[in-house]
Amino acid sequence: MGESGLANAIARIEGRFGVHALARGETSERHRSEIVIATKTSLDHLIGGGLVAGEPLAFVGPPSVGKLSLALRAVVGAQLQGGTVAWVDPTASFDPRAAECAGVNLERVIVVRAPRDAVALAAAAALRSEGFRLVVVDAGDPAFGGVDVDDLAPALPAVRGSPAAFLVVAAKRGRRVAVPAFVFERLAWERRFDRTVGWSFSVEGTRGQSPLDRRALFCLTDGALVDLGTRADLAEVAV
Amino acid sequence: MRDPVTLAIVSSASALVHARLLSTLHAALPRVGVLDPGVFACDLAGTEELLGAPARVARRVLARCARVGTQVSAGIAPTPFVARVVAERTPAGEVRAVEDGRAFLASLPLDVLPVDEKVREELCLLGLRVVGDFAELPRGAVFDRFGSAVARAHALARGEFDDMVRATAPPRRIRARRAWDDAIASHEQLVFALRVVVDEISAVLARDGLAALRLELRLDREDARPLHIERSVLPPTRESTALLRSLRWALEERAEVGLVTGCALEVPEVEAARGRQIGLFAPDGARQEEAIATARYLRAKLGRGVVLRARVADADARLPERASEWLEVIA
Repeated sequence: MGESGLANAIARIEGRFGVHALARGETSERHRSEIVIATKTSLDHLIGGGLVAGEPLAFVGPPSVGKLSLALRAVVGAQLQGGTVAWVDPTASFDPRAAECAGVNLERVIVVRAPRDAVALAAAAALRSEGFRLVVVDAGDPAFGGVDVDDLAPALPAVRGSPAAFLVVAAKRGRRVAVPAFVFERLAWERRFDRTVGWSFSVEGTRGQSPLDRRALFCLTDGALVDLGTRADLAEVAV
Repeated sequence: MRDPVTLAIVSSASALVHARLLSTLHAALPRVGVLDPGVFACDLAGTEELLGAPARVARRVLARCARVGTQVSAGIAPTPFVARVVAERTPAGEVRAVEDGRAFLASLPLDVLPVDEKVREELCLLGLRVVGDFAELPRGAVFDRFGSAVARAHALARGEFDDMVRATAPPRRIRARRAWDDAIASHEQLVFALRVVVDEISAVLARDGLAALRLELRLDREDARPLHIERSVLPPTRESTALLRSLRWALEERAEVGLVTGCALEVPEVEAARGRQIGLFAPDGARQEEAIATARYLRAKLGRGVVLRARVADADARLPERASEWLEVIA
């Protein structure tokens, strides 16, 4: 088969299955350690070692359950590998202080306050670029300028083959797009002297996704994230 | 060690003449540098066996220049500076060769030297009128009194400063074409099909050590006239990923491209490829450029105040708006 024949064949495959259906050898044979972003928490045990470049993942749950805390851990993990992170933030809610407290190097985070209709464009552009290790979309609340996971559908074809992992932080799962989601659930508030100082939460994969159907348990106290490990049974956890 | 020989060509300074002469000289000689508009220095060292004696080469070049309708004068000397001065003092259409640069310059006024007007006046006050007088001054005294710039002029006056001819790369047409049997209608298919063309261009650039500054893409369409797209590539690159991304963005700005049956991609402007500075201790430091390129694209698409970098200004501030500062990634 000549060069043009091969190009035509590949064009047909990509026309049928998308531009990232085929990857060049050097892309597909990347060493796994280069494409996995570890959060260095128990979450890694649930999601198979960490976030993987070229794969989407969603953290789903109500507000104030620790989604962003773990997303910031992922940012730190990406930066530890020397990468830059794109943080798409339609609701302008990115908190630099919280990020810095979590150990994020703000010099290597580009925050894109894209309007609602441009969130998918911003995410796709970052994913198609070779410059980012992690692309985070903090979907926010659709009632306040945020987006639904479904609104990110145009960006999803750009995920496969991208050198960046794609992480969506949202309140609800998408209905029309299938992004592997991990559900965050608050277990209890922690109060001292009638004052709320933190809470504990669990992270769970969808059925059959997390190994041994385990949950990762965390506790946030005075702004610090405490990793309580993975448990199959919540009753064992003392909060 | 080779004997330095330089041929200087001097002509009128119009842009058209300059471009025409430059391409003529590039076609005739291996190493051509531009000193000024219409003024060229050609390094002839080591070319005698291949091209003939410098005087013969110069006459051949004059004939070529005459054929393209330009009258020039030529000077041959050991150094570019002396060759230029010789050429400037030679009538158009003639060649003059000088073997001893210092002797030739000795009788010329100080105006020929590249020194500041005030320095020249000071030299005149010291009783120095011609280059020869200036050349007789001790080198160390000139450096101590006037500094390095005048010391360089002093070396030129003594015919010692053997400045290299900084050659310019001859303009090249780097292009690649493809025609497709089946018309391509979708953006994604077109981008993929262009990848082959971009890879070809990238390979040529890599082979010659060049980086693309501009891209010109012509898309032949079945249902419409050809579509021309021009892109500036900043920073200049030869990497196919970056070139393809630039084209992809240009295509994404168009809702429809029609039925594309072929393409011609050309790099009309190149520059010498520079190395990328890779951040120490950061395996992905080299990717920072790509991230900035993406930020630039997003800023162009979404406007100001969207693509930002945060900084904690006061970690103890009570008001959140005082705690942090937001800066544009692309100013």
